[in-house]
Amino acid sequence: MKLNIEDIKQILPQREPFLFIDEVLEFEEGKKVVAIKNITGKEDFFKGHFPGNPIMPGVLIIEAMAQAAIILASTILPKEEGKKYIYYLAKSNIRFLKPVFPKAKLKLVVEPLKIISGAGIVKTEAYIEDEIVARGEISFGRKEE
Amino acid sequence: MAAIKTENLEKELRSLIAEIIEVEEEKITLDASFVEDLGMDSMMALEILAAIEKKYKLRVPEEHLTKITNLKQVLNTTKEFLGKK
Repeated sequence: MKLNIEDIKQILPQREPFLFIDEVLEFEEGKKVVAIKNITGKEDFFKGHFPGNPIMPGVLIIEAMAQAAIILASTILPKEEGKKYIYYLAKSNIRFLKPVFPKAKLKLVVEPLKIISGAGIVKTEAYIEDEIVARGEISFGRKEE
Repeated sequence: MAAIKTENLEKELRSLIAEIIEVEEEKITLDASFVEDLGMDSMMALEILAAIEKKYKLRVPEEHLTKITNLKQVLNTTKEFLGKK
């Protein structure tokens, strides 16, 4: 199943300029999420990171991975009618393998390692054109708003 | 599978827990409380459970998370699930 930006906004509480998922290519309930963030080069952070030499900050790659993890978790964790949830990042253990430059499609893959009712640990990878640029694990929790 | 000696299992679990809670192994006695004595939080408990599952190729259901309280309990829970394999 695929998700468009409107579907994504139903799941993620983040909004521009801090929404780091544009499209979901694969959405396999409880098993896998493959998402895309288009890096245009017009993002504000490139102005300072770094002037004349734009490189996507690693922490924002982690943010994109974490947002893809929320989409995965939303397929697993039970939801109660009328309740809103906030997700928080508890730990990230990510290795960066290649720099990410503007005008690229950042592909994020997330799979569960252990997900329980209020928290989870996922395995995640980021790719540019099928070349891996970052990989690792992310732990997150969920609370009622 | 070959039975893992309790002594070895205790050593392995102590080392795994020390890395996650970020304390020295000596502090993890059988009865030291992970939360009160060693500063563990709920996310670390989940990480310990996930690390045990990965290391011993086990599946431990969520309700056993409450047993991640001290090394003795973790040792008993791990043995219980290794026995079920």
